[in-house]
Amino acid sequence: MEPYLLHNREAEVGTELPALEKPPVTRMQLIKFAGASGDFNPIHTIESVGQEAGLGGVIAHGMLIMGFVGQALTTWVPRASIKKFGVRFSSITRPGDAITVRGELVGKEETDEGVWVKIKVQAVDQKNEVKVKGTCEALLPRA
Amino acid sequence: MANPEDKKGYVFTAYSGKVEAGKIKELALAIGEDNPIYTDEAKAKEEGFDAIPILPTFMEAIDMWYGPTFEDLMEQLEIDMKKLLHGEQEYEYFAPIYAGDTIHAETKVTDVKAKRNGMAFYTLETVYRNQNDEKVMAARMMLVKTP
Repeated sequence: MEPYLLHNREAEVGTELPALEKPPVTRMQLIKFAGASGDFNPIHTIESVGQEAGLGGVIAHGMLIMGFVGQALTTWVPRASIKKFGVRFSSITRPGDAITVRGELVGKEETDEGVWVKIKVQAVDQKNEVKVKGTCEALLPRA
Repeated sequence: MANPEDKKGYVFTAYSGKVEAGKIKELALAIGEDNPIYTDEAKAKEEGFDAIPILPTFMEAIDMWYGPTFEDLMEQLEIDMKKLLHGEQEYEYFAPIYAGDTIHAETKVTDVKAKRNGMAFYTLETVYRNQNDEKVMAARMMLVKTP
């Protein structure tokens, strides 16, 4: 599907972008993510280590949640347009949490190379607790 | 115990790794990312890429599989892994990175701020170059050591 901001070129600053709703995080997903990313910190996969660390069990990799945000980004802008992507990790995610990624267009400027856009992103869980927040800057090709 | 701020300027041993199509697919599957450009070269080409591109957060796999292991990293920074939090992560993209590329990465501790309460904030910056010595990406990571 064509990224949202390519077929909604008139979208103005303040526009809320279509949210990406992810299914609840599972323990199996954390195991797969550990293998894929190479981050084998046991607090993400071994229950007793998560308990010992005072986390009350295993917690999701922050980078998994950033990955969800990255997925949302390419539903809004083409992958090739993304120039900068940064997040701050605000709270932990546990198995069972269902993440929704929201975005808002906060900047838009015509430049010589194309249309530069700035998007504010936020990943929240089912209780609306913020897990990560950040920004993405992208350079859209001209129509 | 050493002052965390002594780690400012610390340079890690550089590392190189190949971007594998299978690894891109594996990360896409783990995230539940279904954009076909990450698995289907024809779809990637339709979007103007020369080959399968990486996911925006893929460089972590290069870091973790070819750079210091998590335990090594913590040992070099003298952080107890149970006291570590990932505070911030930022990427800058200068040119596409494709399946088949070989990436060379150099990481440096650019800043450390220790607080009186025992917290410490480490900023690590990594510059990634491809096989043509082209600067393709940069990353900035903030790690937090809790008391």
